[in-house]
Amino acid sequence: MKHAQFPIREAAGDADAVLVDRLRRQLQQERRARRDAEAVAERGLRELYESQVRLALLQRITDFANQSNDFADVLSVALKEICLHMGWEFGNAMRVSDNGSTVTACDTWFASDPERLFAFVEASRRLSVERGEGLPGRVLRDNHPHWIDDIGEEGWFLRRAEAADARLISACAFPICIRDELVAIIEFFSSKPMVDKDAILLTITQSATQLGRVIERERARATLIHDALHDAMTGLPNRVLLDERCREAFRRLGTASTGIALMVIDLDGFKAINDKYGHHAGDALLVEATRRFQAAIAAFEQANPRAGHATLARVGGDEFVVLLDSVADCAAVERLAEMLHDVLRAPTWVDNDQVAAGASIGIAHSSDAYDDVEQIRRDADLAMYEAKAAGSGRTVTFTDALGTTVRNRMALERDLREAIRDKQFLLYYQPIFSLSDGPSLMGYEALIRWQHPTRGLLDPGAFIEAAEESGLIVFIGDWVLRQGCSALARLHKRIGRKDGSTLPFVSINIAPQQFLQPNFAQQVQRVLIETDVPPDCLRLEVTEGVAIIDSERTRQVLEEIRAWGVRTSLDDFGTGYSSLSYLQNLPFDTLKIDRSFVASIDDPKSRNIIRAILDLASNLNLSVVAEGIESQAQGRTLIEMGCEYGQGFHLGIPLDEKSAFALIDQQHTG
Amino acid sequence: MKGIVFNLLEEAVTMEHGDAAWLHLVEQAAGRGTYSSLASYPDAELLGIVDQAAAALSLSVPEVLRWFGEAAMPLLAERFAGLFELHRSSRSFILSINDIIHPEVRKLYAGAACPHFHFAEAEDGRLILGYQSQRQLCNLAHGFILGAARHFGDAVEVEHLSCTHSADPFCRLALSWT
Repeated sequence: MKHAQFPIREAAGDADAVLVDRLRRQLQQERRARRDAEAVAERGLRELYESQVRLALLQRITDFANQSNDFADVLSVALKEICLHMGWEFGNAMRVSDNGSTVTACDTWFASDPERLFAFVEASRRLSVERGEGLPGRVLRDNHPHWIDDIGEEGWFLRRAEAADARLISACAFPICIRDELVAIIEFFSSKPMVDKDAILLTITQSATQLGRVIERERARATLIHDALHDAMTGLPNRVLLDERCREAFRRLGTASTGIALMVIDLDGFKAINDKYGHHAGDALLVEATRRFQAAIAAFEQANPRAGHATLARVGGDEFVVLLDSVADCAAVERLAEMLHDVLRAPTWVDNDQVAAGASIGIAHSSDAYDDVEQIRRDADLAMYEAKAAGSGRTVTFTDALGTTVRNRMALERDLREAIRDKQFLLYYQPIFSLSDGPSLMGYEALIRWQHPTRGLLDPGAFIEAAEESGLIVFIGDWVLRQGCSALARLHKRIGRKDGSTLPFVSINIAPQQFLQPNFAQQVQRVLIETDVPPDCLRLEVTEGVAIIDSERTRQVLEEIRAWGVRTSLDDFGTGYSSLSYLQNLPFDTLKIDRSFVASIDDPKSRNIIRAILDLASNLNLSVVAEGIESQAQGRTLIEMGCEYGQGFHLGIPLDEKSAFALIDQQHTG
Repeated sequence: MKGIVFNLLEEAVTMEHGDAAWLHLVEQAAGRGTYSSLASYPDAELLGIVDQAAAALSLSVPEVLRWFGEAAMPLLAERFAGLFELHRSSRSFILSINDIIHPEVRKLYAGAACPHFHFAEAEDGRLILGYQSQRQLCNLAHGFILGAARHFGDAVEVEHLSCTHSADPFCRLALSWT
């Protein structure tokens, strides 16, 4: 630049020169003041501009975050907005996992020029690093942002070669936190230097707060969904989720009919543990059982890769279900059931006590007979009840035959309930005679019959077992007791009490369940009071089954009712255990010799047994009634052997009340 | 034109030629004489002052603009030190004009009509800077480039390969660092 003189006028005089000098200084001050003022205004304008742009960016991110429930979508939008706002080429999101030890990219990224950045995107979108490793690993370790001004110079940066190829030179990475927990990291890359880090920090920190809120919402939603689908105590899928998976598995079967197996597991003895130790103990047992089941299932899946995926669910108090969704080998399912039984064998500590809870397992396999998975589930349930009925620790696999049996039994149960409601039962009476003198009629054994609306008159053999299994025997037994006593009272009233003469008695069979009812003795007492039957005219027959269940309680009840004068008989003696200790400990008046010995009385062995029973009874001061006397010869033999009493078709068949009691009149008139 | 450009010109003229020179130029150009960096003024007012300077110094307008650009650079470095600190060479500084410097200018002066520069590498290794603007201030840009080189201690040669002043559709400057 050439220098040349501008033509400037010279000052007119000294005074003017002084004035010009003062004005010049004044001008300089004015200029400085203006520049200072402008600088202040410029700073304000710059800040205003930046905050407006930043707020607009945050507003876009927030708006989107509020609209969307998909964190990946929100993250993707945020990365794009931030990159465009900052003029950066690449943004990538990573999520923290494994209790904060690892950070893994979630394939959520933005690239301004994907083609040029291809190799870097590929290296980044699935990147997973440990705490302290690479750029995201350092953010994870330090829980604060990290900056790279020149990627080429940072040897620790893992994607250096790909970054160089993409001409990226600068980077930054920021934590996304929910309160104190670092949950995700976002990283950005640029081919230009990142200037004004304070502004970047402010912008991204505020964006990260918004993103953190989205994760928090996502978590809250996931927790709600999880809670709705899982059992809170064990963490297992609940019935809702199991149903969903069952339906899904059934749908996947398509035209194939086999492949699903459902296993219903019910813990045995759980209620007793709950009652004895309290609910906390029951809960602890369930958690422990869950842990063991899970371990067994994991081992099973590893050993049987073809057995498909197993879902263990808790569907009720102590009921679990395993869904196996692609079973190729039915035997494998039973092997799994065995493994589940095995893991329960070791006892669990509850309140310094060791308890063992076995399980009953029912299995059902899909087949073309099923229209929906609910039916498979019902059949697995049914198989489980069969297993439970057979005793603890059993597995039953459903078959069509089992289904038929159970359905018949259920129909029978239904009919029994109706029979109780509609009073379809009636009593027959079989006379019991004194053999020695005549024979003379001493009393009756009351025998139940069922006047079935379609099947006609049914003997007890057709329904008592079902009544016992369903517990209905208690209601039926009560009716028999009351009905038998009422009938006897009517008989007594008709024939009139005669001093010195022996009134006929009634002998009533009492089922173990009925006998062991807590208020059984009171029930007997009430019936005696209501019917006015003399206690010594009532005989209650029990089998040794009651003593096997609870011999001490049996003794107490027998003693109580005998104290009022009621007589007690031990029925079916000679079969079963026939434990002599029961005879020693339990107060009976009578032994009833089982009909099988009478039927084979021609066999010397049977005769010897009858003789032994008679000797035993004599020594213990018990009377003896022989059952099932069907011929004169049998009766005669028994008389010869010294048997006091007997009953059977030869002596008198069971008859309805009117016909049976007419026999008394014949005796009295005859 | 943003007032800051008038301020820079005033400062450059005053530093080199004194207060009276600036007063003279403004008077001759019938300009208002006092400009705020925050305001905008007609382009013609700046060009009028430049024309007066060219006349007073017996220089061409392009020569004055180049002088102004070169002289303004230290003043810019003083005002906007942060933008200079990021760079170690005038080449990287010049390459950041579109992405960093102009966005920063827009932050300060809303509505500033900053020109966009196209960059390309020529076969001979020179950096080609393409420029198209109604204002046709390619010589001011040339001056800024020289000033930047001086600021970073580089030596750069600038050649106008084509120019809108020569009826070319746009200006192309070739830059080579030695």
